[in-house]
Amino acid sequence: MNKSSRFGQPAQKLSFAAKITARLIRHVQQAVGSLGDLWRTPFTSIMTVLVLGISLTLPATLHLFVKNAKAISEQWDTASEISLFLKLSVTDKAAQNLVHRIELYPEVAKVTYISADKALEEFKTLSGFGQALEYLDKNPLPATLLVTPTTRASQTQAAGELLLKLEKEREVQQGKLDLEWLSRLEAIAKLIEDIVVGIGALLCLSVVLIIGNTIRLAILNQKDAIAVMKLVGATDSFIQRPFLYAGLWYGVLGGVVSCICVAILAKYLSGALSELTNLYQSNFTISGLSFVEAMTLILLAVILGLSGSYISVRKHIRAIEPTAD
Amino acid sequence: MIHFNNVSKTYPGGFLALKNVSFELAAGEMAFLTGHSGAGKSTLLKLMSLMEKPTSGKIQINGSEISNIKYKDIPYARRKIGMIFQNHNLLMDRTIFDNVALPLVIEGYSHKETRKRVEAALDKVHLSDKLRCFPNMLSGGEQQRVGIARALVNKPLILLADEPTGNLDPKLSLDIIRLFEEFNDFGVTVLIATHDLGLIARMKYRTLTLKQGSMITDGIVEGLQVRHENNE
Repeated sequence: MNKSSRFGQPAQKLSFAAKITARLIRHVQQAVGSLGDLWRTPFTSIMTVLVLGISLTLPATLHLFVKNAKAISEQWDTASEISLFLKLSVTDKAAQNLVHRIELYPEVAKVTYISADKALEEFKTLSGFGQALEYLDKNPLPATLLVTPTTRASQTQAAGELLLKLEKEREVQQGKLDLEWLSRLEAIAKLIEDIVVGIGALLCLSVVLIIGNTIRLAILNQKDAIAVMKLVGATDSFIQRPFLYAGLWYGVLGGVVSCICVAILAKYLSGALSELTNLYQSNFTISGLSFVEAMTLILLAVILGLSGSYISVRKHIRAIEPTAD
Repeated sequence: MIHFNNVSKTYPGGFLALKNVSFELAAGEMAFLTGHSGAGKSTLLKLMSLMEKPTSGKIQINGSEISNIKYKDIPYARRKIGMIFQNHNLLMDRTIFDNVALPLVIEGYSHKETRKRVEAALDKVHLSDKLRCFPNMLSGGEQQRVGIARALVNKPLILLADEPTGNLDPKLSLDIIRLFEEFNDFGVTVLIATHDLGLIARMKYRTLTLKQGSMITDGIVEGLQVRHENNE
């Protein structure tokens, strides 16, 4: 008999290594056991995992939208080009002088001159109106300069400022920088980014509550068993561990479901998006979640699962006490 | 081993379940606790098994004051008390082996040691062949013996039994009491709450009698006297 040991103190005398090993084995057993418990209640488990996965899919998809919108704006930003249409009266020589002047701008990386004749040739080839154009008395097209800003000057605001500067050159009739839609896209992306944070926070809270409620029901379902365990000396931490592992598994599985849903949505949307990007002569393809992002999503789901189950076990397990009845 | 000093217990609502109860039980002693329904037997056992706290008075077990024990220390204290109930308190979805092994699993014993101890405990209660059975496959008497094996598997200092023979016939009841005697022979302090006066009369052990929350007799009493006390 353990007559020498005091009441209310652990009785077993184990070495530190033996304690760690025993604890590790118990953790593994309880983790596997809680996975088995989920397996034994497939309907409840699948429903919970799906609710969790779908709840996380919405903010994850919005994040994907923001990410791709940024990629689009960055792609066009760096490739932005300013078209300067020269006055019809400007001669070739004057245009060449203007090219040399503009090349000296620190914001300009490259200037390409397209003479009025060359522009007409190109138009004939590309438009299909070649024969019709032969009936015109004179070339209606102006000479054009294609100005490519430096990387630094190719951002929306800097490019706009460069355009204003170039438009002040006396030979220039009109300048064009088609970045207005990019500004709108950036504004929409910023708005959605803010919405992602708001909706994400609310959905994360709902995930915590869903998991918390699922674990609460599991605890109440095992109320008698918990009372018996307490009766034979189980600590709260021993009893709560399988429920915490259940929250962890819900998180892992919900995170995986969410990743799959996002991948399916990205694939589905890529078809529609490619039609849109083709209109802008771009071969942009939608990018899904990276490995790091997918792992972050699963980690977030695990944290939410653990949080929900922790809140639940702290509240409910302590309240269950053995009775002599 | 067990020392009650002027212990009273009033439940919420004002019901006075125990009134200034004092007694001592020495280490290795075996005793009965008797009285009518509502006399306070279960309350006394609940206080000893830390399911309830006394309203006043002091309870010492093995030299430790348990009246104001901290919540976190309760599980460790319970590991030194084996508890047996009339309804057995077995986990119906687990095998007999798992039920008996539960206290050892909680204490973190190795699988090998757990198996050894569970087999020994079940052998002691003559249920070695029921390892893989579930509780609902056993009779009431067998379930009670499983409860006893679980209560004793981690070698507690004290064994508390609340109406352990309540649903059993006289022969099985006697078998169960004989088992308690065997464990008592190994030094386990045993306190059995029962209203089976015939059983008490046959066994001739020290008997604590409660009436309306007060201790009215304490000692080895003759069967007829006990019957007389309780039929008042």
